[in-house]
Amino acid sequence: MKILSMSGFVPEQICDTVRFTGFDGSERLSHYCGYAADFIAQVREDDSIDGAVFPKSCDSSRSIGSYIDDTGKFIYSMPVPAVRNADSVAYFAEILKDYKSKIEKHYSVSISEDEIKARDAVISARNAKIAAAYGRLGGLSYASYIREVHASLSAPYEFDESRIEAGGSGKPVFLTGSFLSGVELADFIEKAGLKVIGDNTPESGRLASRAGFVSQESDIYRKIASEILCTRPSPTQDLFDETIKSDIEEIRKKGCRGVIYATQKYCEPYDYLFSAYKKALDEQGIPVLQVQMADSTDGNGKAAALEAFADII
Amino acid sequence: MPDSYLVHVAGAMRSYYKDFSKYAKGREPSQKVAWVTSFTPIEILDALDIEYIYPESYAAVIAASGLEQPLLEESSRQFLSCDCCSYSCCFEGCVETGKGPRGVPPKPDVLIATNNQCNTLPGWWNILAKRYNVPLIVLDYPGEFTEDPIARAYVEKQHKDFVLKMEELSGNKLDENELAKRVENSIASVAAWKRVAACRKEREVPPTLLFDNINFLITARCKEETSLIYNLMADEIETYPECDKSLTPLFWIGYPLWYHKDRYLTEVMDGFRVCGSNYITWWNLDYEGDTVWDKLFSAYNNTFLNLSQKTKTERLSALIAASGAKCAVTCRNKSCKCDYVSAKNVGIPQAELEVDMIDREYLDVERAGKLMSILKETIG
Repeated sequence: MKILSMSGFVPEQICDTVRFTGFDGSERLSHYCGYAADFIAQVREDDSIDGAVFPKSCDSSRSIGSYIDDTGKFIYSMPVPAVRNADSVAYFAEILKDYKSKIEKHYSVSISEDEIKARDAVISARNAKIAAAYGRLGGLSYASYIREVHASLSAPYEFDESRIEAGGSGKPVFLTGSFLSGVELADFIEKAGLKVIGDNTPESGRLASRAGFVSQESDIYRKIASEILCTRPSPTQDLFDETIKSDIEEIRKKGCRGVIYATQKYCEPYDYLFSAYKKALDEQGIPVLQVQMADSTDGNGKAAALEAFADII
Repeated sequence: MPDSYLVHVAGAMRSYYKDFSKYAKGREPSQKVAWVTSFTPIEILDALDIEYIYPESYAAVIAASGLEQPLLEESSRQFLSCDCCSYSCCFEGCVETGKGPRGVPPKPDVLIATNNQCNTLPGWWNILAKRYNVPLIVLDYPGEFTEDPIARAYVEKQHKDFVLKMEELSGNKLDENELAKRVENSIASVAAWKRVAACRKEREVPPTLLFDNINFLITARCKEETSLIYNLMADEIETYPECDKSLTPLFWIGYPLWYHKDRYLTEVMDGFRVCGSNYITWWNLDYEGDTVWDKLFSAYNNTFLNLSQKTKTERLSALIAASGAKCAVTCRNKSCKCDYVSAKNVGIPQAELEVDMIDREYLDVERAGKLMSILKETIG
């Protein structure tokens, strides 16, 4: 089984998945997120991939299934709750059980609760290591850190901080946005004399926040569901206030001199968030640079804007 | 003199717009005000005497009045990307500038968003919540992506919690009989609208009339007078002359172009007649079930855009077959990623037009004309 997964909403504890980090695909859909289009392309074009799991959490992801439902591969569109409360956690736990049973049926396998618990222990240990490294970003190269994070998102889920290069100096900035598939952007940020010392991205700041989360749930599915839903939120969870407030707190606490808002083109959750985020940062006198990536492999071409931003801050 | 639907339409419009700034002249609304998305279970609000306003519909009215361009520009100045849904950009410009054909809607006491048509709306409602600093309630509908018992329990609980919150806001207690009455009104509205829409196959019904008048099924479906309006309208349309069968029957897949005087591209459709549209069926909600809660679940969880691709294709194909269309225009709407893909595999030749439902400057009319010529050649 080799299931391609998209987003931090997809649990890693149920079975091994390959986290989508980027693909140079041929699917191009007008006014559609390039990252999601590349996910579609990999499912369609990569014969080694035999399944796909993705959330129903934004306009692009909710229609992914429509583009790949003829592939004959395992397809699971995960209806992630748009709200966060005890009911949505209980509901999402039921979804996780459904996901497990659909995998079992499609692949003719059996997944025991003990296996899920064992996998959960591995994922929790990895998240703790990511959180520890996240806390020491000041001394690390962010580009090297993010590459190590990406490598740890698929089995065997190993994260080794000793493999991360030490970071030089630079003007401290905060990075927020969608999955940093075009990791070259992180190189350009460093080359521009900027140093990322905090972020709110799905694979880093948000994943790190799970390490400190203590679930009160004894049921393993509810534990996983609460960890995914109740930690640092995605903009698709409709908690803009919380996101903006916690980001500004971290920006202030760490002394960041500016914010890089890096998102995919045609990514409407981040586009809406930006409207409110920019106004809130302006009120606080915090400069922000918006960087839009065309697709999952686009990390280039932002050098001039980043250098100009470095000069401003 | 026979009763005309137009008299009732005027009354319904007066009632809906009574608290907009152009007419209210500074008076506060007598009811609590909710701003809602177009697939919100308004039966609950109506039964609790809460006024509900539809920002999406007002954006359409703004474009139909020819006022959208400066408002779209204003939304860019408010850091809202022009890639976002143009309903939201247009409306954002309106509330920022205070300019709109009927002024601005009364300020909300609560914002209610649903995700049963797209995921854009909750994002848009988040920025409205920041602007007005009022509570935001998101109703989460899993749609066909979740097995029935799980989804049903989840949605029913949300509906009941929603009632509690709205009781607190309004100070009124829900009478379940009143709610059931609103649901029955909605069922009657849907049935009457289906009567209207069915006329288009045989009668000379301007698509504009259908695109514009579905408004009541969106904004007032649970009001008693809505079925009256539609039944009177159907009575009248049934007397219209027969449609011109020498023209090629064409199905319009996608939103009306609100900025266009006809709401569709008459200038490039010589030789065609629009015999059907999926947009005018989207609010034919199916209130199935024994209890009022079952009915609300069925109607709002299983909206067209919340169905699987398989079901959407089946339904759209059936609609097209029933319309007798030989070809289709499929709108690749800049503002809606969810709708375009509905048109996959519908089995008839299509012209795919790059459009936006609000922004008139987005369309390349010359290119659209060429695509329509190719479509004409394809079907002979």
